[in-house]
Amino acid sequence: MSTRVDPNLLIDLQDYGAVGAEKCFNCGTCTAMCPLTSDEHPFPRNMIRLAQVGAKEQLLASTDPWLCYYCGDCASTCPKEAEPGETMMALRRWLTAQYDPTGLSAKLYTSETAVIKTIVRIGLIVLVLFIGYHALTGFHNIVTNSVQLNTFAPVMLVWALVLLHGSMLFYRMIAGVFKMSRHVLAPVTMGNKVPLRIYLETLPVYITAFATQRRWRDCHGDDEEKHDDGRWFKHFLLVTGYVTMLVLILGFLWWFQTDAFYPLWHPQRWLGYYATIVLIYTSSEILIGRWRKTEQLHRFSQPTDWLFPTFILTGAVTGIFVHIFRYAGWAWPTYIIYVIHVMAMVAMLDTEVGVGKWAHLFYRPLAMYLEAIKAKVREEQLVPDFAPTGTD
Amino acid sequence: MKNLQVDALVVGGGIAGMQSALDLADQGFHVALVEKEASIGGKMISLSKVFPTLDCCSCITTPKMSAVAHHENITLLTYCEVVALEQNGASYRAQINKKPRYVNEESCTGCRLCEYACPLDLPSAFDMGLGAQRVIRVPFSTAVPQKAVLDIDNCILCGKCENVCPVADCIDFTQTAVTFEIHADAIVLATGFELTPTDAKAEYGGGKLRNVVDALTVERFLAPTGPYGHVLRPSDGKEPESIAYVQCAGSRDISLGVAYCSRICCMYAIKQAMLLSGALPLADITIYYMDIRTFGKGYEQFYQNARAMGIEFVRGKVARIHEDAAQNPVVRVEQIDDGSVVEREHDMVVLSVGMLPSYNPGLIYNVPVAADDGFVAQSAANISPCLTYQPGIFVAGTAAGPMDIVDSIVMAGAAAAETAAYLEERRAVGMAGNGRSPQTTSVKEVSYA
Repeated sequence: MSTRVDPNLLIDLQDYGAVGAEKCFNCGTCTAMCPLTSDEHPFPRNMIRLAQVGAKEQLLASTDPWLCYYCGDCASTCPKEAEPGETMMALRRWLTAQYDPTGLSAKLYTSETAVIKTIVRIGLIVLVLFIGYHALTGFHNIVTNSVQLNTFAPVMLVWALVLLHGSMLFYRMIAGVFKMSRHVLAPVTMGNKVPLRIYLETLPVYITAFATQRRWRDCHGDDEEKHDDGRWFKHFLLVTGYVTMLVLILGFLWWFQTDAFYPLWHPQRWLGYYATIVLIYTSSEILIGRWRKTEQLHRFSQPTDWLFPTFILTGAVTGIFVHIFRYAGWAWPTYIIYVIHVMAMVAMLDTEVGVGKWAHLFYRPLAMYLEAIKAKVREEQLVPDFAPTGTD
Repeated sequence: MKNLQVDALVVGGGIAGMQSALDLADQGFHVALVEKEASIGGKMISLSKVFPTLDCCSCITTPKMSAVAHHENITLLTYCEVVALEQNGASYRAQINKKPRYVNEESCTGCRLCEYACPLDLPSAFDMGLGAQRVIRVPFSTAVPQKAVLDIDNCILCGKCENVCPVADCIDFTQTAVTFEIHADAIVLATGFELTPTDAKAEYGGGKLRNVVDALTVERFLAPTGPYGHVLRPSDGKEPESIAYVQCAGSRDISLGVAYCSRICCMYAIKQAMLLSGALPLADITIYYMDIRTFGKGYEQFYQNARAMGIEFVRGKVARIHEDAAQNPVVRVEQIDDGSVVEREHDMVVLSVGMLPSYNPGLIYNVPVAADDGFVAQSAANISPCLTYQPGIFVAGTAAGPMDIVDSIVMAGAAAAETAAYLEERRAVGMAGNGRSPQTTSVKEVSYA
């Protein structure tokens, strides 16, 4: 079987943050240091090698970048300062861009101006929508003697727009998911369809991986000095906060965005408080880490690495201020901060879902899911329809 | 001690320094050779055999050591260190610190009666801590000069050595360091190298694993004058049945601060593997390597012979070494040829440590080191490799960068030739020469280079 090589691949990857891949002399220290490698997935050296020789197809078919959680053991022991972990990080960005059907991801990852332009454009669109809505209603819906948020922004209308926007983004995400699945499964299925049964049987892999990010806890291996579940736990907290908010807004916005005043024990309040506290704490923690650069994984931050935690922090802070101003009875501040909140959140979703850092939420568990499917297909030896081994 | 006036001062008494001193002295120049250890011979005298000819190392080195000691034009100064080297008019003035031997160097006959009488054993420095040495001893059997030296820090002052010494007032517990000057028209720096310490890399056990040794230790195992006359691993004296070499354990590794290749490690590992195959015919020997660099005459054939002998070569840099319950080192490595990560247990692991510069630029006048590796900077590395940035100061051997014995000897000869030419040119223009006092002309006026 012939392999098409892309001689510019390494240069392209440098735009995505592969800062030292060209220095690698393939000694294998990184792979032997990594506590997450296995016989089937001996990364990161294999990935760097594929990048060096321009084997684009093999990289697209590989899930290895998503199996790495960047503990940094490879980087600290690399004899060439080739930054293997950073190459894995760059590959995750590059793969996200490759899976993204719209091409937006590639632009955001390779150009800072594109990031700023996109955010400003989306923010302005939201602002225009607000102004347009109130112009059409003759500005009668802006009640200023008391806080009437659901009059300023009728919740059912907002919810409908959220769901519409969400489904568009979901479509973009799913298109990426399909593209990734196609690439990853192709070497095993050889053009055949995997039976639905196998998809269903292996589904628990996806669910556990998504919910727990359990694999991460093996980082640093049995090195007790370095082993630290703290990073995993903080991320886990972040996920719980994020998912809580996602569910509240997508499923229960009609209940969550309200003009009513609830007692403190009411779930509308404490769910919101929990998510806000967790999101503010974890996102600031990430931002401070990136700023201080004390940890291996924080030494080479790309603009897009700052973006997602900054958005989360902005969303949580503006969100809680909407709440505070509303309870304080300040109409204008509530409305203004609400508009800012929506502008920021729409900009975040447009520049993140399926195209930015956010995408790892889907792709990481998906990688493990697809590997489970591949293993199952091989295990059941669905020959002659399926090739027994693949080239990954 | 009296100040000395010589034509050339050679700093370092290893193979390069000895060769430079001999080549200059043979041409009639007066040479002072300063060596910081109690015996000349450098690293080479502790080696077993040389690659690729497998000649006995002592047999090549000792004649040169004796020749240096007995040459009428060479003043040999052992246990002396250059503490400062300054320009003095057109020539150089070196301040020398002679460390106390606590033994009168003139009267000591090297009979070793003191050594036999001494009741204290210490780990032998010459045998890399494997064997024992007395507190007062001749440094090693073929040491030049054959003069005793006493380690005052470990001495209990029992006086037994003094009682048995047949020479009156030879052992002197009150000796102190002496400072004197050497005036020389030219200098040859042959300060050699240090080995990467075994504790440099935490992933390789940080020097704490007893059965992880460096290659110089194995040289002592293999040398006929070695401590055991046999290959025995350090932790329990077991004869190792499986020995692994970890290549690039001190070179080509920026995490150790060493980006360069030390050049000698591939060849000495292959050589040792061959010698070990002879010493332990049943042992399995594995060399973990990134690439084998056989750059010299006959080297590639030597390597192919080793492969043909059954020595296993595994491509991949060892990432980590840890110990199992029986103190067997376990290496973890990605075998590049098939991409599998394995952990393999061996009885003994040898770190192929690299070369670090041992030259201290702070002591020597105006001779900088190269910024990238710390070895003496050469002003014209490709056409006149022995020149430093200071006229009249030349460099030879591994002071200039990693090289093997053959290259060191060649470079030492070249340095001697450069030095001789420099000295002759000075004589031709009527400047200071042999025995004459230096004039106050600036060196820059000498048409040189």
